[in-house]
Amino acid sequence: MLKEITLGQYFPGKSFLHKMDPRMKIILLTFYIVFIFLTKNYVSLVIMSVSVLGVLFLSKVSPRLYFKSVKAIIFIVIFTSALNLFYGTGEPLWQWKFLKITESGINTAIFIAVRIISLVLISSVLTYTTSPTDLTDGIERLLKPLSVFHIQVHEIAMMMTIALRFIPTLLEETDKIMNAQKARGADFESGNFMNRIKALIPILVPLFVSAFRRAFDLAMAMESRCYHGGEGRTRMKVLKYTKYDYIALAVLTVIFVGVIICNLYLPATLRSGM
Amino acid sequence: MSLLEINNLSFTYGTGTAFEKKAVNDVSLKIEQGEFIGIIGHTGSGKSTFIQMLNGLIKPTQGQVLLDGTDIWANPKQIRKVRFRVGMVFQYPEYQLFEETVEKDIAFGPQNMGLSKDKIKERVESAARFVDLKPELLKKSPFELSGGEKRRAAIAGVIAMNPDVLILDEPTAGLDPRGRDVLLSQIASYHKSSNNTVLLVSHSMEDISRIADRILVMNKGNMFAFDETKKIFSRGEEIEKIGLQIPQITKIMIKLGKKGYKLPSDIYSVDQAVYEIMKIRNSQVSKKKG
Ligand SMILES: Nc1ncnc2c1ncn2[C@@H]1O[C@H](COP(=O)(O)OP(=O)(O)O)[C@@H](O)[C@H]1O
Ligand SMILES: [Mg+2]
Repeated sequence: MLKEITLGQYFPGKSFLHKMDPRMKIILLTFYIVFIFLTKNYVSLVIMSVSVLGVLFLSKVSPRLYFKSVKAIIFIVIFTSALNLFYGTGEPLWQWKFLKITESGINTAIFIAVRIISLVLISSVLTYTTSPTDLTDGIERLLKPLSVFHIQVHEIAMMMTIALRFIPTLLEETDKIMNAQKARGADFESGNFMNRIKALIPILVPLFVSAFRRAFDLAMAMESRCYHGGEGRTRMKVLKYTKYDYIALAVLTVIFVGVIICNLYLPATLRSGM
Repeated sequence: MSLLEINNLSFTYGTGTAFEKKAVNDVSLKIEQGEFIGIIGHTGSGKSTFIQMLNGLIKPTQGQVLLDGTDIWANPKQIRKVRFRVGMVFQYPEYQLFEETVEKDIAFGPQNMGLSKDKIKERVESAARFVDLKPELLKKSPFELSGGEKRRAAIAGVIAMNPDVLILDEPTAGLDPRGRDVLLSQIASYHKSSNNTVLLVSHSMEDISRIADRILVMNKGNMFAFDETKKIFSRGEEIEKIGLQIPQITKIMIKLGKKGYKLPSDIYSVDQAVYEIMKIRNSQVSKKKG
């Protein structure tokens, strides 16, 4: 059923990562992504990927879910790695007609695979351990300085929160409407392209009607509770950095510095720019 | 042969995930042609899941549904035919309306059945009559109707397919008391005049006891009881224990019984109650005289 689709899902828990402030998680994730792409030799690559595994372990989220998120992109990984395998320069180790594999090709392929997989894993950690509301809250706080340029940060964040909140509701609604129309003999599975498009009308019309109804109801409910945008609005849950955030910051700073040192003092395996 | 025969029916949502949930557990029963069956149970007791298996909207994880003796999933390609024979009105059916006019919306089902134009027109008109929709409303957009009218238009859309079995999932939810009574009596009179089988899901004993021949009581996915309405209420106290409301008059009778009055325990209408109480009173009066 449609409901079973997972979309950047949150899994409630009490792990170290769940207790961290969403702002710190977003900031550290950004650095993680940058540093994953800064690794230039195997030592720094291993440091980064081992630390990613450490973070996964700390999240206490079932490894099955991480496997699932990697499975979703495994074809992209294989494809790009395979492509890079044959694009290396230097002495060929193996050659067949115009296809040749070189040492630099192998290195690039490995680096790309490890980097993409780490990237996906570390990003999933953020969505698995942060509730959508916390996430948008964190984004709102971090983007606050942009309001100097008259960007309505609060409004954008509120829209994101509401959109995320309604995805499961609308999926459930779609499921219900589909069933109701199937019960009246609607057929979504057969016929040519045009017929299938037409078959969507009995789903889309009620879905839009209900989405608008929900939007009006929500707007009404928000207004009757005196919502008037971000100005002067205080929070029930004020975001605060705690010891967890400082510990994470300290540990990751050490790791990041380690990567920089490795890059500076050890010979680069990859040509720069890769 | 029974019209519907249900054997060891079970359904589990989200098999193999963290959200696995057995919603219906090993239900077996038989329903005869022309019966009016009430289905009652708490929210989450598996009523909606159960009825969705009867017309093949969801496929049972275990067990089978026999319609006229054939498994409805015997030929999955023909499942639409089953859906035409077992009509389903969902909860809040007004949210499925989509056509430009009420008439066209009611005609959606019959059209999918491939009926001729004249036949469709006839079906639409008679379905509208059953639910008491005025002819001038048929040309209107369904979105212009009142809440109660929308509900009736949506129900007409299923009745228009003339199904052998009509299933209604909490059709009175969200209606005012008058609207609820009117709709229930329309369903009762549809049952009488069409002689089709009707399954009515509700969580109000009060409503169901008035019109059902037999009642299926669901509790946590299990079949708690399936029996004649009268017999169900003779187990009134048990039913209260699983957290269901029994009709107020039945409650009063049970309490009077505990006070020592000799009353039958299967009373669920005020008329019956008055009759029984008067019987006791008269006998007491005649004792005093004698
Ligand atoms: N689409 C679904 N996905 C997962 N679980 C569901 C779904 N629909 C119902 N359930 C669960 O199955 C159980 C039975 O639900 P339902 O059949 O709707 O009960 P009722 O109609 O008696 O209120 C409930 O615990 C409910 O949470
Ligand atoms: Mg239900």
